[in-house]
Amino acid sequence: MSPAMGQHLRIRAMIYVAGEPVPFFWPMRSFIHHNPLHGLEHLPFAEAVDKGAKLFHARPFLPRSQYQAYLSDGRLDKAALISQLQSFACSREPLPGIDLASWALTLLQATEEPLIPLHMPPQPEQVYAALQGQPVNISTDALSSQVIPQLRSELLKGRPLYESLDALYGTSIGEELDELVIRACLDFFDEGQSVWVMPDRQEGFFSAWRKVAGGPVQALLKQIESSQPSPARGLIPEQVIDHVMRALEVPEEQWVDYFTREIVHLHGWSGYIRWRSNSSRYYWADRYPGDLVDLLAIRLTLAWMLIRQHANGQRPNTARAVEQLIESRPEETYLRSEFYTGQVLPSMVQRVDSCLSTGHAQAIQKTFHDYLHARQSDQAQRLAHALSELAGKSGQQDGFKRLDAAGLARLIQALTDLEAGEGMLWLRAMESRALDQLLDGISLDAAEPREKRPFVQAAFCIDTRSERIRRHLESVGDYQTYGIAGFFGVPVSLMELGKGSEMHLCPVLLTPKNLVLEMSSSVRTDEAAVTTLERAMHKLKESVLSPFVTVEAIGLLFGFDMIGKTVAPDIYNRWRKHLHTHKPNTHLLLDKLSREQADSIVRAVQRAVIVEAAEQELGMAPEAITDDMVKELREAALGNADWDPGLAADMNLDDAKLTKFVLRLRTAYRINTPFARMQLEQLARIGYSQEEQVGFVRQALSSIGLTEEFSRFVLLVGHGSSSENNPYESALDCGACGGNHGLVNARLLAQMANKASVRRRLAEHGIRIPDDAWFIPALHNTTTDEITLHDLELLPTSHLVYLDRLRNGLTSAARLCAQERLPSLQIDAARLDPASAFLAARRNSLDWSQVRPEWGLSRNAYFIIGRRSLSRSMALDGRAFLHSYDYRVDPKRRLLENILTGPLVVGQWINMEHYFSAVDNERFGSGSKVYHNVAGRFGVMTGNLSDLRTGLPAQTVLDKGRPYHEPLRLITVIEAPFEQAQAAIDSVVAVKRLVRNGWIRLVVIDPQTTRTHIYDEGEWVQRPALQNTQEALIAS
Amino acid sequence: MSLTLYLIAGLFLPLFPLSMLFNQMFARLRHPWLRVLLLLAWPQIGVLLLSQAADPVPDWFAGWALLSAAFYAYRAIALREVGLWIGYIATSAWALLWIGVVEPSLHHLLALGFSLPLAFTALLTGFLEQRLGAAHTALGGGMAIAAPRFAGLFVVAVLAAVATPLFPNFFSLLATLLNPAALSPLFALGLVLIWLLWTWSGIRLLQGIVVGSPVRNGLQDLSMTATWVYSAGFVGLLLIGINMGGVLL
Repeated sequence: MSPAMGQHLRIRAMIYVAGEPVPFFWPMRSFIHHNPLHGLEHLPFAEAVDKGAKLFHARPFLPRSQYQAYLSDGRLDKAALISQLQSFACSREPLPGIDLASWALTLLQATEEPLIPLHMPPQPEQVYAALQGQPVNISTDALSSQVIPQLRSELLKGRPLYESLDALYGTSIGEELDELVIRACLDFFDEGQSVWVMPDRQEGFFSAWRKVAGGPVQALLKQIESSQPSPARGLIPEQVIDHVMRALEVPEEQWVDYFTREIVHLHGWSGYIRWRSNSSRYYWADRYPGDLVDLLAIRLTLAWMLIRQHANGQRPNTARAVEQLIESRPEETYLRSEFYTGQVLPSMVQRVDSCLSTGHAQAIQKTFHDYLHARQSDQAQRLAHALSELAGKSGQQDGFKRLDAAGLARLIQALTDLEAGEGMLWLRAMESRALDQLLDGISLDAAEPREKRPFVQAAFCIDTRSERIRRHLESVGDYQTYGIAGFFGVPVSLMELGKGSEMHLCPVLLTPKNLVLEMSSSVRTDEAAVTTLERAMHKLKESVLSPFVTVEAIGLLFGFDMIGKTVAPDIYNRWRKHLHTHKPNTHLLLDKLSREQADSIVRAVQRAVIVEAAEQELGMAPEAITDDMVKELREAALGNADWDPGLAADMNLDDAKLTKFVLRLRTAYRINTPFARMQLEQLARIGYSQEEQVGFVRQALSSIGLTEEFSRFVLLVGHGSSSENNPYESALDCGACGGNHGLVNARLLAQMANKASVRRRLAEHGIRIPDDAWFIPALHNTTTDEITLHDLELLPTSHLVYLDRLRNGLTSAARLCAQERLPSLQIDAARLDPASAFLAARRNSLDWSQVRPEWGLSRNAYFIIGRRSLSRSMALDGRAFLHSYDYRVDPKRRLLENILTGPLVVGQWINMEHYFSAVDNERFGSGSKVYHNVAGRFGVMTGNLSDLRTGLPAQTVLDKGRPYHEPLRLITVIEAPFEQAQAAIDSVVAVKRLVRNGWIRLVVIDPQTTRTHIYDEGEWVQRPALQNTQEALIAS
Repeated sequence: MSLTLYLIAGLFLPLFPLSMLFNQMFARLRHPWLRVLLLLAWPQIGVLLLSQAADPVPDWFAGWALLSAAFYAYRAIALREVGLWIGYIATSAWALLWIGVVEPSLHHLLALGFSLPLAFTALLTGFLEQRLGAAHTALGGGMAIAAPRFAGLFVVAVLAAVATPLFPNFFSLLATLLNPAALSPLFALGLVLIWLLWTWSGIRLLQGIVVGSPVRNGLQDLSMTATWVYSAGFVGLLLIGINMGGVLL
């Protein structure tokens, strides 16, 4: 390996490491909830959020004022907060006359903004002097000595050079650079939105970009190319990165940090590129490859170009030059940094501005000293005043006045430490309240024995939105409900009717092996005229010139459409639907093909292709092509046999032409053995074997504890949402189905479970499903709460008589659920009766101006793994993931481990996505939907040019600018014997890490001892035995 | 004698370098009401002095005035402090009062037209100085997020200060442009260019103060009452402007 290659491999490895903190970003059409700090999950939560906050320039906790609001309305446990503050006070050396816990509580309760300035805080002796009414003694020489190390740490140490220059000269190179990079990404990664696409994309991101880059970039790249040992071989991205980093004079030991900062600058795009380059089966990635190395090569080249343009020979243009500037002119550098980063002291802003404009060394020197003096004096006075006020509020003025300088210094240090860690204190106090609320409502009473089986058993997704509908369904009749991951344990790759690509319907953690085809069972109909017209209009809109004419010619039609959608969305959309062709009834090809069936299909396809080829290539009429001819041609093309000498004459061809045609069949039409083998392999992926089907049904039913007493109807309810004009629609769909509707998985499992052969095999495993039990797939529309039953044409006639009762129950539950949910969506909904609420919810789903059709998974807080009886007596307001689990059928704890591995991890991603989107919606979330535009058909941007917006929009987690979602770590409750639960957690490494590092708050309720065990701060803590048996609840 | 009088008037209807006096004074005055007073009274003194002169103003004064106005309009582009910017725009505007001097009563009205919107802007700037300690773009923008009521009014104030149509200074500018005594393509071009520079500088100021992310948290916005009072003030300015248009044109 040559030294150059070694260096290139090292760069690639560095970029790989540098990109680790950036989470994957999946295309929007299958929105995947993820933890924005997924790359930092190996760290304890507090440490990770601190690091993440610095990396992403984000806020990891809510502002103090918001926690204060929670405290005043009881959503935060004050006792828990006080207890933590007391522990904090006890951990420090006592201060005479000062009750530190009381000070801390007053600080948190009565002050909205942080007390201690983070940026060059005043010295305690200066604060002491200010408190004593003495002149504040500022030693500017001492301060000056702090300036150089501070500037070094702020402006160097892995910080991109242009950021430092922006901070020193008020330029906006960073913004310009981001714009150029975003344009390059938009052009290259486009997935069919643009009419004019970037040429040569198949050559890769860097190569394609290089060909269309402007003159100055070309000149730079030529310069780099000519400096390479073998320029004729062309330029690779690693060479560019190496060259630019050396040109910028960034020390090699800082490269990884530097790359991380560059990658994080546009973390949405970087996350998407990371995901894309790791997705081996993604069509666009296969066709147009691009990775973070390409991205960095482009970014660094553009940055270098902009830095050189802005430096113009007068400003530093390398990291070394910035370092020299700090060394040689620290005063000017400090003032520049203060001025251009908005930190400058207001009273001196104009003076600093003037002296920096004139550049006179003496003036700068004097201003610098005056500035430092004024700044420290101002901060000391402010802090002294704030401390005095705080002392008054906490009723400790006397003790405060008696403090000497050393005591004051300790007090200030204690308050500094408190403010640095206050986020965790608030969070834990909030979680304490949420935990108490949950445990207070939990019941350990086992379900009463039943005289007869329930009318219906219904398995819903564990999604928090299922909690409401389950509760209402249980309240309207004899319904027993269960919670299971929404893909029902059946990972599937679906080839939907009329679509040419596969869709993975399972959690992103899994890759489905089996392919299921959707086939129509109806007569094929022509496309509706309106559908064709719509498609034509879209084509016209997307073209470059036609919109100018289209607007004049047919713009009015769009006007009518707009009026209809806006004025009467419900009626208009229903009418409009009638104009389109409806999707026909379909069947799913569930069973595996036998070898003979697969061979037969391949043969049939080959025959059809040969007939088509003969028509196209030779102009033969279909009736002139006989079966024998086709058979002979096929055998000849496959090389199995020579053709009959009379074949050429039969086809009116000479020998040469026939030979040429056979060759063409072999090459162009791919009638050959290797291709046939590949087709057979593809066909082998279709469907599930009998064993697999039995396994899936058994696994699904066992995991939720449904192994006996099957009802006449067993509903398998997948879920999905429906909204208009909403790029985030898939975020409202089922996460366990890869951000798609869950109906297909429900249909598959129902089909499997209804098969007599599967039931026979299940009976061998102890699961006896009676003959009259029928599994019905259904879809819960979470926007409207409507539940629709599917595949009813397969329902035995004996069940038809009960169908009305079932439908009535489902409708009642849907209406009650809408009535409960709607007040949080619209202010005037409190008065609505169930039927009106249901109609209003449906209108929401059809209204194209509605930015919040539903709240989705917002306010999620709990994940309960246990029997329904545990939480049946309480209303969890759609805040809990409910996974049914009966520890009694899982002695080897395999089922529990499966639940922890899949559903719980996905639940934690969802929870963290909501947490971070709520605490800092601009950085971790995606801001307001109102300004979003779809980018490249895979993401959204704010405005016409921005980073890809990751996370959730403001309309999903905020209400009138305040958090609607209460950001908490997922409180997970497992109902199982303590040792069993503990062993299961320890055996799933990913979950063990999440629990130990505090990303999940774990609670184990032991039904045998009725004790509750909480994992807190690295150890298991036991709570008193639960008293919530029915008797206790009645008594209370 | 008249020349001395004109030179003294040059301090009040500022001509460079005599204009430095006004700008120094204006920069030192921090109280908004004192600034308002200065903005309203200063050019009136100049106009009064001009009306006392026995001889007509020499032609070369108009050229000097146009160059002074252009110079200050150009310099205003680089300014980041709102108070200084108001002073420069005022200097640039008042210098135009030398071009085609009209009869005293109309001349006073022209001067008032130039001063009124700037006085309003100075008053509103007082809010920013009170809240942030200075009205400077280096203190970070984001007022649209941090103090949306103030930001809205500030946008209107800056638009008013740069002679957006229907505000009084727009009509003063128009009246100067259409004054038969000064009607020449060169002057017209100069005036339009100056107007363009005012607008450019105003937009830069808005960019620095209104848009972006707020650097300082916890800023208290204008009260609703103050917002209504300022809004009424701007409506009043518009009405005065329309009325002035009728008188001046």
